[in-house]
Amino acid sequence: MAEPVPRSEPQPSAPVDESELVRDARRGDLAAYDELVKRYQERIYATLYHMTSNHEDANDLAQESFIKAFQALKGFKGGSSFYTWLYRIAVNKTINFLKQRKNRTHMSLNDIDFNAEHDPDLMALISEQTPRRAAGLTELQEKLNEALLKLSEHHRLVVVLHDVQGLSHEEIAKVMECNVGTVRSRLFYARQQMQGFLADYLKPT
Amino acid sequence: MKENENNFESLRRLLALKRYETPPPGYFENFSGEVTARLRAGEGRAVEEQAMELPWLFRLLSAFEAKPAFAGSFASALCLLLLFGIVYAERPDVAPQLLLQTAQATSPLAVATPVNLSSLTAEQPALIPVSSTNPVFNTQPTASWFDSQPAIAQPVSFRLQ
Repeated sequence: MAEPVPRSEPQPSAPVDESELVRDARRGDLAAYDELVKRYQERIYATLYHMTSNHEDANDLAQESFIKAFQALKGFKGGSSFYTWLYRIAVNKTINFLKQRKNRTHMSLNDIDFNAEHDPDLMALISEQTPRRAAGLTELQEKLNEALLKLSEHHRLVVVLHDVQGLSHEEIAKVMECNVGTVRSRLFYARQQMQGFLADYLKPT
Repeated sequence: MKENENNFESLRRLLALKRYETPPPGYFENFSGEVTARLRAGEGRAVEEQAMELPWLFRLLSAFEAKPAFAGSFASALCLLLLFGIVYAERPDVAPQLLLQTAQATSPLAVATPVNLSSLTAEQPALIPVSSTNPVFNTQPTASWFDSQPAIAQPVSFRLQ
């Protein structure tokens, strides 16, 4: 099994300890909570965006997740890390949202960072399909998001958290409140499905 | 299996494209500010606190959402009440008698002149004190409405100044 992609750790420049911030936020200190939001906003937003393939939905869901987390802070006992607890709130909210809007999917994709054009792995995939790289990237982005949306919410979540966000199986199991075996089997099944959906775009080995 | 792993590796490289999808510039600079502003506007209060401020109807509806069994029993009680009302309304003899009994129990006039419908005779058909809510009826055929009503004469005295 391939190792997860390395991901950026929480901002190391933040001087205040997380548990201290959580304690202050529980007392109603909005400045402390603002600091917590800044620490996790990018990862929470990214997960929700990859789950919905829609910037506006991801924005709304991310904001609502942070607000709900603040409301529920008094119930946070510290059994897991704040980060895992927050992820769980965001993910559950998103899964409920996706179930409600089933069959009414509308993609609103973010632009691709120009650095993608310098990624040798991506370029190797694209150059086989089309000589026009920019057009190839946009097309690939759409196909990739369409394929992700065809997966069930739980299978999509495993792929997003592991293959895009770079979380380990153990971390995903904590977020999804299931065992590691379930995470592994879901990941295998989801990858197989993705492979079928994207067969035309995958370089044969 | 090895081939599968290789295929998955190819898929993982393709999925790496997702990491290059970025929101509009400056998006994260405003994000935490928007969340904090919403919290300052009162959205961050605990759910229980917000619930206490809602009108009773909203609280009742939210209780229904939370407890479907409660909603079911409430609806059943309403249906029973409606059914009881319909059945009761279709029995016209019950309501006036009940009203009469109530009137007897409460009105001093009714207590003074108790009515026994079973003791009615042909000789005294006109002496039935009828409640204003009762239908007008007479057990005996009468030639004239005026004959059946006994004339009541009451002496009246006037003082002229």
